[in-house]
Order: sequence, then structure tokens, then C-alpha cells
Amino acid sequence: MARQKSLPSAPEASGHLADKTLIIDNGAHTLKAGLATHLDDTPPNLDSCHIIPNVIARSQRDKRTYIGPEYSDCLDFGELAYRRPVEKGFIVHWEAEKAVWERSFLHKDDAVVKCDPEETSLILTEAPNAPVALQRNADEMVFEEFGFAGYYRTIAPTLNAYAPSPFPSTATSVSGVPLECLLIIDVGHSHTTVTPLHHGRPFQHAIKRLEIGGKTLTNQMKLLISRTFDVHREDHIVSEIKEDVCFVSQDFNADLERVWRGGRYDPRAVDASLLVDYVLPDYETIKRGYARPHDPAVKLRDIMLGIGTEGGRREHVLTIANERFVVPELLFSPADIGMRQAGLAGMVLQSIDALPAGFRQAYLANILVVGGTSKLPGFVQRLESELRSLVDVDEVVRVARAEEPAKNVWLGGAGMAKSADLMRSLIVTRQEYAEHGDGWARRVFAGKARR
Amino acid sequence: MATGPLRFRTPHIEELPTTGSRQAPGFAWVAVSGAQDDPAKNWGTSNRKRARASLGGPTDQQREALSARQQREVERKIRDLNSDNSKNAAELPIPKKEGGAGASTVARAGKTPNTKKILGSGKTFAHYLDDEEAEIARTGRRDVDVEAPTGAQRPSKTPLARRKTREESSMSGSPAPITPVAPPALPRISQALSFGETTTLDAEEEGDDAVPPLPSSAEMEALLNAPPLTYSQARSAPPTPGAPPPRRFCETCGYWGRVKCMKCGAMTCSVSCKEEHDQSKCLKMYA
Repeated sequence: MARQKSLPSAPEASGHLADKTLIIDNGAHTLKAGLATHLDDTPPNLDSCHIIPNVIARSQRDKRTYIGPEYSDCLDFGELAYRRPVEKGFIVHWEAEKAVWERSFLHKDDAVVKCDPEETSLILTEAPNAPVALQRNADEMVFEEFGFAGYYRTIAPTLNAYAPSPFPSTATSVSGVPLECLLIIDVGHSHTTVTPLHHGRPFQHAIKRLEIGGKTLTNQMKLLISRTFDVHREDHIVSEIKEDVCFVSQDFNADLERVWRGGRYDPRAVDASLLVDYVLPDYETIKRGYARPHDPAVKLRDIMLGIGTEGGRREHVLTIANERFVVPELLFSPADIGMRQAGLAGMVLQSIDALPAGFRQAYLANILVVGGTSKLPGFVQRLESELRSLVDVDEVVRVARAEEPAKNVWLGGAGMAKSADLMRSLIVTRQEYAEHGDGWARRVFAGKARR
Repeated sequence: MATGPLRFRTPHIEELPTTGSRQAPGFAWVAVSGAQDDPAKNWGTSNRKRARASLGGPTDQQREALSARQQREVERKIRDLNSDNSKNAAELPIPKKEGGAGASTVARAGKTPNTKKILGSGKTFAHYLDDEEAEIARTGRRDVDVEAPTGAQRPSKTPLARRKTREESSMSGSPAPITPVAPPALPRISQALSFGETTTLDAEEEGDDAVPPLPSSAEMEALLNAPPLTYSQARSAPPTPGAPPPRRFCETCGYWGRVKCMKCGAMTCSVSCKEEHDQSKCLKMYA
């Protein structure tokens, strides 16, 4: 039964497709947002995708609150208190999310992506397996609070099928036509999901989720670094350390041996090529921390006082040894912290085993890795070698990372927005929402109702 | 008559943690037999090493089965790792943006009753998950508006253990999808489909036994239109039982853990790391 929705302002009578489309890939760490239009044929440009931190942060030192894009204006990231509207990949706290969206899109002077919702369609992504109440909340907020002209909500991995394929042998895709078989591994901030897609539609029963993401890695890094220096409240700094020095080791056992100092009775020489000295920022002279190869001759105490450094500045230096590769190892064996889930390779195989047997080879050969955490050096190589060791010798395994792992979902959404026919078949306009209600809208997004 | 602490010879029951991990084994039975398990020899034992060695069973699985307290610790640590460290952040006020006073208060609260409720609610993700599970327990399906009611077939009164799977039943081979009430049965569709399949999309495979057939378009539609799993169902499963046991690392330096502290159970790699642990990190400092 259609419930009449009462919208604050009357929707347009014609319900035609809006010219511009705002694509928001709403992640837990950052929003990837940008405009695209179906009126011209230029391929979507990665520069029009803006990465906006999805956070409200308050600094005790500045006594200022930074919302969304203002976060990069912060001069002192020490001891910031964070408030994230997205929990476990889903938008839960709409009050905060509304503040971030308004600051990013509706601010009259300083919007990152200037748009007028009444004349723009919205493509919004969500994480797979969302609780229904959260989907309902999102639909209501988009139409009733912001008043977008049209709206399409989908799970984030499906948009990857509309982005250009990174596999060298595949022909370039026409915009609006999805790739046929794709297995998306989205290594995100809150979790990692594996989604097999067929012509852009997911196999719902084969979507698997591992509860380890960039956030888990950062927190584990905080724990390990705090053995020498307490960094429990320095989320931003540890996140930068993780991005700068961490890598995925191809041979974990050998690397761990190389950096072991040895026992009391059998000391060993540590392989200094794996050690790194990280200079912490103090936001007075050093604005951003950086890493340099370990120099055993340097005395840490002297450096703290400013003796022997360039320009005589005081540097606080941390030596990071096995944390570099032990932390990303969590993705491949979550049992290290006691989590009872299979690692990434095991999860990929669980997902593929849930598919019909005829598709097994097709999906093993088309594995696409996206997500910010996949930028760790050595990630793709390690995943590929682990998968290869778990499947038969004569099965082909191809794993590729998107060129811009963080923006690839947005790129797919922009590719989708270029095709007016595709948009017309997917978008629910305000007028239709007002007539038919939110239950009908959810059925359309699930593919169960024809428009 | 035992004058020391009572020792009950209960079977080793593994306490299921409350947050997730539903695929964990229910419990492990301990074979209570043999002279070393004789309670007379164990009574009054406060030495945890002796108690552990005797209460643990002969198999690896029983030794690995953690006590309830240790399990709670592990769960707490994992929850901390996955948290946002926002203990004080819930009270972070969102600053009013500069603008007309009347317009901004209306905009803050929400334009329609629905949005007012959404903006004002303080529910966390855990609340939404619990609500969804309560809803499923009540109505049997995930989304009332989207999914068709499962009343087409009478709810089966056969206990789960005695229900025939689709492979064994005489009705196998039909392309109708299995309802989402039994998610473990879904992977078996693939065998049933490819087994009873006659028409294929790939004409070349007539003579090639090695390539399994692709499902027909009707089955593909059924697979692709299946409703999504709930959040808890989509968690990936534990590793296969044949996998190596979880690795433990040294708490001080991060190398492999080789010796276990008798008092607190933490692992260290060498004598120097162990001394460091005893001086500052061992729980005996607080206990």
C-alpha cells in the first residue's frame, strides 16, 4: 500500500532526470564525492572526485571543532577527539553526517562540491548487508531533509563494475555497460568485504565480510608502538605512520627472523635494512612526520635535545622494526589477535565456493582489489601468492588493484552517471517517492519492482 | 572429605561469546578417564600449571579451547581494536553554522517528523543490529516491504536434523530457490543445479568433462534476486579445522612467543624479554 509521503517542498511535476548527478561514496574514513553529468561524453575525470574526511574532530589545543573538509585545515593533530557518523561502514549518526554533508556540499562560500540538491540526482553507496532500518533512514534523509531530485542507493562494490577494468586483456568498457564477472575485494576502514558481481549485480549469498579494516590496523599499530612510547590518543599520527612505513611481507617468517634481536644467550645481529626511524611531528617546526632509514650511530637522547640534527631542531624519533609488517599481517591471519575468522585468502575461497561451480574459474581470474588499505606495498602480490597456494595448479588466478583504489567506486558511479538510459532505469525521483513511498523505493533498489 | 577448594569434574564446556562468532564450535567434551585425571590427586591444587595440564585433554582441540575468562579477554581486546576511540566523542557538540537564527534551528531539528526522529535518535549500530534480529525473530524475514512472505509453504515441523536436504529429497532438480531461512543450504544449490542441469550456456562443453556447466538463466535470476543476508550471516566463517593453531607473539618485542608466563599467561620470546615482562607488564603487579 502506498503511503503518502509528505515532502517539505513540492516535487517537480514532470519527474525528469536531473542534468547533474552527485555521486557520494560514503565511507567510514572519508567521503569520495563529485559531480558527473550525462549531457556530455567526456570520460569521468578522477580530479572531479574530492576526498573529504568524514569526521567531526575537536581539538583541545585549538578549542576548535573541525567538520568534514575543515579537517585538513587543522594545524595541530595531536590529541584530537573524533566523532564519526559512520559506524561499521553504515551511516548511523545522521546528525553528524548531515553536518558533514552540509559543510561539504551546501555551504554558501566554501563548499567542496557545490550543488543544489533540488536539481541534482544522488548516487549514494552503502556497505553490503545493511540493517533495513538504516536503509530506511538514509532514504528518508535524502528525500525529505536534503530534497534531492533523484536518488539511487546501492552497495558500494557494484559500482566498481562500471569503472574501467584494470586487467590488461579486457577491452575498454563502454560507459554504462558493466563488466561481466568481477570479484571485488574492498579493503576499507571498518571492514573488508568480498563481493562477486555478475553484470554489476551481486550474488547476495556469497558476500562475505572480515571484520578487520584500516581502523583495526591503526589501533593495533597504536598498541604495538605504545610498548615504547604511548600513542593511544594520537589517531591521526599513528594513521600516518601506518601509511608511511607499513608494508605486507611476502615471507613473514623470514622477515621476523631478520629483525629479531635474539635471546640473552644467543644475540643476533638485526638486519638494519628493515628498521626505520620515524620522526614525529611537533607542529611547530615539523609539520608532518616522516620516515628515514635507521641510523644506529644516532643517539636518541641527543636528538631530543636538538644536538646533531639539521638546524638544531629537536626531533622525537621512534624506531619501528617488526611492527611494519606484523600489523598488516592481521589481514591475512586474523587469528593472531584471536579473531575466529579466516584470513583474506580463505574468505575469497569461501565466497567463490558459494557460487555455482561453472563460475569458479571466471571469478578466480577477475579479482579486483579496491579500498584505501589496499595501498599497502606488497598487498596484491601476497594475496595472489596465498590464493595460488590454495587452489589447483591449473586454475588461473589474476588479482589486480585499481589504479586509484580509494576513488574507484566513485569512478564507477561516474561512469554509470554518464549513461542517461541507465540512470533513467535506476533513479527514483522525488515525485515517485512522494507517490509510492519508501517501501516501494527500497523494492526498486533491490531490483524487485519495475518502474 | 576435601578441605581444599572443591574441584568439580565437569565436562569442558566452551562458553559462546555473545558478540558474533556464531560459527564457533559449541563445546568440547573432555574424556574423563585415566589416572592423571583422578580428582583425589588434584584437590587443593592451586598450582595453575598442574591444573591446566590435567584439566586439558589429550587432543589439540581441547587444549586450545580457552577458558571462559580468557575468551572474554580476547573478545574485549578485539572490540577495542575495532572501536573508534570515541569515548568522549558522543558529547562533541556540532557547532551551529552561522546563518539566520530561525532557519538554523528548523534545519537542525529536521524538516519532517521522520527526519526529526532520525536526527534526534541516539541509537548506535549495536541497537540497530539488535532491532533487526528481534524483527527477524518476530516475522521471519528481513525486510517486510521488500521480500515476499514465506507463507507459501507451511512452516515445517520436522526437526532440523531430520529434514532432508534438497539433494536427497525427490524434488531435487527444480530450479526454485531455497528460502533464505536456511542459509547453510544455499551453497548446496550449486551442486544440485549443476547435477540436475540439462541445458547449458556453453555449447562446447558437450564433450569436455572437465568444465562444469554454467547454470541456466532461470537459476541465475534466482541467485541474483536472492535477498541479502543479514549483517551477522555475512561474517566470514572460521578457518577450516585443519588449519594451524593461532600464532602467539612475544609481548615485549614481537618475535614468536616461546615461553608462557606462569602467572598471567602472556608469551615472551627470550629471557631478557621475559624479565622486562615480569618487571612492568605482568598482571601480578595488580592482582
